[in-house]
Amino acid sequence: MKVMAKYHPELDLMMEYADGTLSLAQSACVSLHIGFCQHCQRLAEQLSDVGAILFQGLDPVPVGDAQLDAVLGRLDEETPLKYAGTTRDNSVTPAILQRLMSGDFSDLTWKTIGKTLRISYLKIGDPNHELALYHIKAGGRIPEHGHRGSEITLVLEGGFSDLEGSYHKGDFIFRRQGDIHAPTALQSEDCICVAVLDAPLKFTNWKFRWMNPFLKLRLA
Amino acid sequence: MERNSDIEGILTGGQVGRRTDEWSECLELIVQNQDRDAFTRLFRHFAPLMKAFAISGSTFSAGHADELVQEVMLKVWQKAGAFNPDKAAASTWIYTIARNCRTDMYRRLQKFDTAVSAEDMMWEQEPEAEFLVLHQQRTREKIRELMKALPVDQAQILAKAYIEGKTHSEVAGELDLPLGTVKSRIRLAIQKLQIQIQIER
Repeated sequence: MKVMAKYHPELDLMMEYADGTLSLAQSACVSLHIGFCQHCQRLAEQLSDVGAILFQGLDPVPVGDAQLDAVLGRLDEETPLKYAGTTRDNSVTPAILQRLMSGDFSDLTWKTIGKTLRISYLKIGDPNHELALYHIKAGGRIPEHGHRGSEITLVLEGGFSDLEGSYHKGDFIFRRQGDIHAPTALQSEDCICVAVLDAPLKFTNWKFRWMNPFLKLRLA
Repeated sequence: MERNSDIEGILTGGQVGRRTDEWSECLELIVQNQDRDAFTRLFRHFAPLMKAFAISGSTFSAGHADELVQEVMLKVWQKAGAFNPDKAAASTWIYTIARNCRTDMYRRLQKFDTAVSAEDMMWEQEPEAEFLVLHQQRTREKIRELMKALPVDQAQILAKAYIEGKTHSEVAGELDLPLGTVKSRIRLAIQKLQIQIQIER
């Protein structure tokens, strides 16, 4: 049963996801969201159909027989798979995260910041975006900060709220440059989310402002 | 279903009125018998499209067009068993492989240090009810028809995004348009194609 998320990627982001031009880390967030949202899955399918129709309408460029022979010669190396469908395990961790974490939440290296926040940076290999898991304790608050670039947050467990709304499992939140907020986890449970940044955060709260010059993206 | 296969038949120059289209049959034959003739038919039709797709893309993919064609066709052979005609048209499935391979090649040639492939970004499809499958096929044919009537400035942007593989900012830069204009043309195009955005975005 799919969770019905309330916050979704915008149309142009969905299209870049479908046409393959969206960055690796941002695609991972859209993909995670689609796992929670049937609406966006449908839309992604239709946007892929648009690509397929344009592809079929291309003017064919001749491919010589030598190429065909080369491929035929390599078929022996590759046996067609009878059924290559993904084996659906009942794990709660989405497939893409499993690939990135190579283990469980508990195996990750966490960096503790204050009493309520832990961050684990995942290596995705996107040269322009940092991708990290945030774990905020129930009721915990992240100091008010602004964005020097864009930020995508995807809620995996629990939820959080800020002045603009409250967000739950599967929600996809896009923050633009200049937006300022101080997210607070729901009182009832811990919040785990994925955050993708294309520029470091900027703390506005005087207690944390000293950190700003040192904040850098971790593209590890 | 009948109508759909007719249209496929006309478009591919194949026999009209067959229940399943030629390309799904080829994929089926590959899985059942490792049928090389069926593979050759697929190759003759799709490889020239893939080459055109590679050449239209970034300089990275254009410079490696033949390599890309081979890589995609090998994947088609290897993964034919994962194709499910109830979920997608054969041509859409093959396009998806071509798109993923082109994206991966681009990242590889730019020396991205990543263990993740474009395919890993695909969602797992839930099994769909039969009426939804039919509905999707009709939607696809409707989009194909409506595409022909798309105003040039909208069609141009779709082609740049899907075929040339450019981000919307790159398209805006190239056409010397504000990003907002590119985005609103995309929105208009999607409306004209009667694609349901489903929810407010």
